[in-house]
Amino acid sequence: MTFDRDPFALLTGLRDWLLVFGGFVGIIFSATILVALGIYGTSGPVAVMSRVWQGLHDFTHLSPKRIWAISRLTILEAWRRKALWVFAVFAFLMMFAGWFLDSELRVDMQVKNAVSFALTTVLWLTIPVLLLLSCWGIPEDIRVRSLHTVVTKPVRRNEIVMGRILGFSAVSATIVAIMGVVGYVWVLRQVPEDHQPRLSGWNRLCLAVGLLPNISIEADPKNDLPAIDVSAKKFCRMPVYGTLEFVDREGAIATKGINTGDIWEFRSYIEGGTKASARYKFAVNDPVDQLKLESRFEAFRTHKGRIGQSLLVRYVLVNPTKSLRVPLPSFEIKEFSLNEQFINREVSYYDEDLKDTRTVDLFKDLVYFDEDEKLKRNVLQIEVQCLDSGQYLGMARTDFFIRLPDRSFLMGYFKAVFGIWLLTVFIVSIGVTASTFVKGPVATMLTFSVLIVGQGFRDFMIKLVTGEQKGGGPIESWYRLVTHMNDTLALPDTVGVQIMQGIDKVLLSGLWLTQHLIPDLSSFVMSPYVANGFDVPWGMAMFRSLAMTIGYLIPCVLIGYYSLTLRELEAK
Amino acid sequence: MKLLLGLLFPTEGEITILGKPASDVSKNEWIGYLPEESYLYRFLNAEETLDFYGRLFDMSPQQRKERSNQLIELVGLQNARKRQLKEYSKGMTRRIGLAQALINNPDLILLDEPTSGLDPLGSRDMKDLIVKLKNEGKTVVMCSHLLADVQDVCDRIAILYAGELKELGRVEDLLKEQNETELLTSKLSPAAVADVEAALAKHNAKLIRHGHPTNSLEDLFLKTVQKSQERPGQRYVPTASEKS
Repeated sequence: MTFDRDPFALLTGLRDWLLVFGGFVGIIFSATILVALGIYGTSGPVAVMSRVWQGLHDFTHLSPKRIWAISRLTILEAWRRKALWVFAVFAFLMMFAGWFLDSELRVDMQVKNAVSFALTTVLWLTIPVLLLLSCWGIPEDIRVRSLHTVVTKPVRRNEIVMGRILGFSAVSATIVAIMGVVGYVWVLRQVPEDHQPRLSGWNRLCLAVGLLPNISIEADPKNDLPAIDVSAKKFCRMPVYGTLEFVDREGAIATKGINTGDIWEFRSYIEGGTKASARYKFAVNDPVDQLKLESRFEAFRTHKGRIGQSLLVRYVLVNPTKSLRVPLPSFEIKEFSLNEQFINREVSYYDEDLKDTRTVDLFKDLVYFDEDEKLKRNVLQIEVQCLDSGQYLGMARTDFFIRLPDRSFLMGYFKAVFGIWLLTVFIVSIGVTASTFVKGPVATMLTFSVLIVGQGFRDFMIKLVTGEQKGGGPIESWYRLVTHMNDTLALPDTVGVQIMQGIDKVLLSGLWLTQHLIPDLSSFVMSPYVANGFDVPWGMAMFRSLAMTIGYLIPCVLIGYYSLTLRELEAK
Repeated sequence: MKLLLGLLFPTEGEITILGKPASDVSKNEWIGYLPEESYLYRFLNAEETLDFYGRLFDMSPQQRKERSNQLIELVGLQNARKRQLKEYSKGMTRRIGLAQALINNPDLILLDEPTSGLDPLGSRDMKDLIVKLKNEGKTVVMCSHLLADVQDVCDRIAILYAGELKELGRVEDLLKEQNETELLTSKLSPAAVADVEAALAKHNAKLIRHGHPTNSLEDLFLKTVQKSQERPGQRYVPTASEKS
């Protein structure tokens, strides 16, 4: 997972959504017209059109009061059926969770674990409650026929679906908000005692809610209390990542650096004391007085090097359009930790050619317009060099970034909580819609499957569809299992195999469609941002999740409306 | 009735109610419906139930409050207005069911088995309410397999059998026996009965049956309960012959 802050392309998303939604509506409408024509003759399409017209009428004559009445009923039902007992489970978990979290770790790791635990608990306690409530509400109303007393009032079926979704969303908002607040206080309390600020009264309260962003506390030698840098623990960083390319020891451009034998190819290495470097290009917008750079590089040593010292690293600011190279002072990297460097607006350096110190403006002289197709914007190019011969410095694209002014932890945390709520709204939409055409247990299974596939199996599904996953489709996999045939062995070119692979292609087409229908629900889970100390970006995370929720909510309401309209509620 | 309300779909033909198709929800503005079993939300109390159904008619808070109070009084649930419906008896559930059907002051009231499962007192109350609604000028359509109740409250009846309409008309017209005449007099002596027989013979008619008219069991029960309410503590005392 990366923590990029790219903006959300609303117009592109809207266009894609309209294409998919319009396409599906068009296909279903055409198929219905054709089927109706085949079965009922000319009166069939007329009846279909009258239903469409009735639908348009019902959607343009919605009553907010009636929708709210049904929402209110839903909330009361959840309350009276003791759905909110989930708080008791949450409180129980929170009371004892601290015992099982490792207190020997670094402080940032402890905070990471605490934040992850709190937000994951909120997520996985809320989901089952909402899943059951939303999937069983309407089927239960139909079973005990209480829905009969509602539909015999001037209530439109879309108002019932919308009212139910709104009501369950309100219930989930309450649950998530209360758990979120409790979780937040718990996370703050989980910070080790010697790192908890020794403040009292108003300041403590302000700190607790993230209103004191830059506070630090000096050591208290009288009471043997250490200094505290609160900023290390309770802030959400805002990274601006760049693009990364490597320059090898000969000075040639490469997409990857050296592999030092690690199976995990996340990081590539550059060789120290040579021309090898890693070239980062960061998009830069408005000039600022000072840029903050943050990195987390890894060292790979081929010899012990200087005892007690880490690798020496240097940043070089490069403007190829002016053939300007500005080396910054070298520094020792802190391994397994963050390296923070600052670049002032005016940068002074020793020019080897002029044999003199020269001062340049960071934005006027070093920022340039990059013609690269992927960028096409103003960039700041920084080369990272390792100065120790025989040693290697490893890095990935996300290991080095410009750190914008930090945001409050409180804000970041509650953005993640909001993401959880959006996911519950998505589940509620799917659950309520499913419950309009199948019974409670089936609706629950259906919604749960969407949730599980969307959360964890989507990538696997994409690999299957694209053929990246070896072993073929379901029939071929089954055949290989039964015959104990390794998935790297080629199948014989027989008619049977061709038939088998043909069937697999059809089945995989269905999977292809499913893969496009089920969204990537992992984007709703924003806890990794906060747990890793990053702010939740509005564009990539918040707006994207919000758009996804609305994008599914609209067809859900439409499907739910027609399901309830076209079914006989009294039919057994 | 379920076809009229759009809960079932006709296999053929069309249904209109108040001039609108059965599938048109706007017709429900003028209709009140009491389902067979009062399928209400059991976690709500009487006030909340009526408030909820009032909201479905876009009624203002003031209107909902006034109408709820009127209806709770009408169906006699003042003492149970705050109790959840899951604690209600069958009779109370039917009464709150009727109240929800009347929340919009409908012109047409559809009652599905309104007296089914009720004790004689509850049944009497329900029938009195139906008659009261009729007297208020409402059109009440009810279906029931308790024919005595139908006879008690209905002006016109229709008999459906095997999916077909077999009979339709005013109750007194359909039940009237055209070939017989009924006289009801004060108590007659045997001699007077003989005279009546003689007089009838002059007109080529004969007395088929005579005796004392009997009350229905429901009337007897209601009278007994009424007496008991007027004179609490009074009990049945066996006569000397019964004791022996």
